[in-house]
Amino acid sequence: MQYRKFTPWLFLIPTLLGLILFRLGPMLAAGLASFTRWSVFSPPEWIGLGNYIELFNSDVFLLILRNTIIFSLLFVPGVMAVALLLAVLVNNRLKGMTFFRGLFYLPVITSVVSIGVIWSWILSPRFGLLYQLVSKFFNVVRLPSFLGDARYALLTLIVVYIWKMAGYFMILFLAGLQNIPEIYYEAATIDGASIWQKFRHITLPLLSPTTFFILIMSLITSLKTFELTYIMTQGGPNYASSTLIFSIYVNAFKHFRMGYASAMSYILFIMVGVVTYLNFKFKDRWVNYSE
Amino acid sequence: MRKSLIITILAILLVSVFAFAVMAETTTIRYFMWDPEFKDLEQELINQFEKENPDIKVEFTALEPSNYWPKISAMASAGELPDVFNMSSGYVDQWARDGLLMNIQDKVDQLPADDYFTKVFSTMRYPDKESSDMYGIPYAWVTTVLYYNKDMFDTAGVEYPSDNWTWEDFRKATQKLTLDENEDGVPEQYGFWWYGRYAHVEPWIYANGGRILNQEKTRIAVDDKAKEAIQFLADLSNKYNVSPPKKDTVGIRQNDMFPLQQTAMWVDGSWNIAHIRNMSQGAFDWGIAKVPAGPSAEPGEYNAYGWPDSIVISKTTSNKDAAWKLVKYLIGKNRPLESYMAGKVPIYKSLANSEEWLEKDKKPQEMDIILELGENMGRTSFTIGWGEWRGYADTGGAGMNGVLDSITNGEMTVEEAITTFTKYGNEVLERYYPEQ
Repeated sequence: MQYRKFTPWLFLIPTLLGLILFRLGPMLAAGLASFTRWSVFSPPEWIGLGNYIELFNSDVFLLILRNTIIFSLLFVPGVMAVALLLAVLVNNRLKGMTFFRGLFYLPVITSVVSIGVIWSWILSPRFGLLYQLVSKFFNVVRLPSFLGDARYALLTLIVVYIWKMAGYFMILFLAGLQNIPEIYYEAATIDGASIWQKFRHITLPLLSPTTFFILIMSLITSLKTFELTYIMTQGGPNYASSTLIFSIYVNAFKHFRMGYASAMSYILFIMVGVVTYLNFKFKDRWVNYSE
Repeated sequence: MRKSLIITILAILLVSVFAFAVMAETTTIRYFMWDPEFKDLEQELINQFEKENPDIKVEFTALEPSNYWPKISAMASAGELPDVFNMSSGYVDQWARDGLLMNIQDKVDQLPADDYFTKVFSTMRYPDKESSDMYGIPYAWVTTVLYYNKDMFDTAGVEYPSDNWTWEDFRKATQKLTLDENEDGVPEQYGFWWYGRYAHVEPWIYANGGRILNQEKTRIAVDDKAKEAIQFLADLSNKYNVSPPKKDTVGIRQNDMFPLQQTAMWVDGSWNIAHIRNMSQGAFDWGIAKVPAGPSAEPGEYNAYGWPDSIVISKTTSNKDAAWKLVKYLIGKNRPLESYMAGKVPIYKSLANSEEWLEKDKKPQEMDIILELGENMGRTSFTIGWGEWRGYADTGGAGMNGVLDSITNGEMTVEEAITTFTKYGNEVLERYYPEQ
């Protein structure tokens, strides 16, 4: 059997075709579309940087951009902290621990739609479960409107999203924790290290490859959040909880402004690109690969 | 032997030539509809049509609205539009402007006008809603009505709404119907319920003779009468506390407030009749009335707010006559009444006037009010980009809707709200109507 230079490429054709047709193609098309005014049903019209100029002159877009950044800044550390805490807790060898692992993972596999609907109801200021509970013990007339008040809407979405996603990252952390050899802890115990010292000087450094992976994953997750917003607040009130991805959807498929939406998705693309680049650039400073 | 073979072959050829000729005369019309719930009924109607018109074959597709619009838009951009399809009042201007719809004025002119509710036809005109040609024809229409809970009225000893109710009468009724028995400042039962939704606000504006757009419908221009209406609603929320703030109602579907007896009155689209029937299951007695005419309305002139669902013909269809034949059939007397949800009115008058549509054995008893309103209709605020500046459906937290919600929450004054949504709305409209 003689291998020629092009032989491997033959085997790569299916993958390459898929990649070019269904990934790269649309990406490039969106790039071009972002320079047009295009309502889907009529042919696109070239307007140069028009969409980008409009975006950065729009108060609404700047608010949305701000919301997106706040979302990531709060979601990423939040979900990582909660997930790590859960992972450390369920890493104990106690009876029934599998049950808790399953329990914490449950929100991850529950449909976002049901989660959105149930949480909306729980948080309802006058009809919700939370109100019913609180009003039993305290004399409150109504709860703050966690979803209907511009001050809390985004924060509430973040909290619910952390609640939903923490289980997923917990499993990843758990896998990382179980990879840390027991001998380090034994040695530390003999040296008289406290639980905190063990965590700080053994667990955290040895977990850092996992932490790095989770940081990237949760960042991307945070920028892609859509369904909860769609179901719980629809970006409202007055755009207070609108994020980039939600606005891209609204502009593309509700207002049929494909060009404008494409411009927004390129801005999102650049944001993700920059953040990922920075991550990889600085990872050597804190990530330890033990081998 | 050979001869008979030749004859047989010739005979087969002859037959197939005829068959081919018949086939060639059959035109195929593709018809897209946005309501899969009524797919079977629609198919029956189409079968009937095909039986009466053997030379026309109809290819019928029904899609959920969430799939319908992206699909139809993609088909339009590919130049593959179906010959006949559904069109909403909010989108027709854009589609007509982009030259995707056939001007069917000459066909409409041949219809016997008395058979149809022609008042709602104006929505399908482009560019001018009074005088331009029609680019589609309604098959059904809806309007907005005042729903009221008769049991609550009886308990509070308030007279049911009447045709000559003033806004003052209405407000006094809401106050009597608002109950806060534990006196915590948040009523257990509200007299009324509104937020920034188009079907909640515009009925009041039009009933006061107001406008939120300029004459050409190219810019937001809230006139004094419209402002008066918004102020009236704002006072119900903030001054009289007879309508809940929008933020308090999060977690409950807006169309459930009335059927769940949280509120004694509610203004929304007539199609909610079906929903209230299903949800309340006869738990309470209720009725419908006209939205009271405002203090600034011209005497004797009442503007009801309503709009049609329509059928359009693609401009690129090669079979305009066959397509129109189908359209005429679909809007005509053969359409089964079950294909309308309660509160949606057939465009064909004698269907709407039938016992089966009025359903006197069910609630509400006052279905004829809807038909009366059909004669008072016309004014709407649909423009290109309407959904965008108005904040419609999935984007209800945005646009004018979101801003008006802030009034109910006590976060904005009427003045601030109007300034805000005028600015934002005009940014949208300037994109679609740059010349001015």
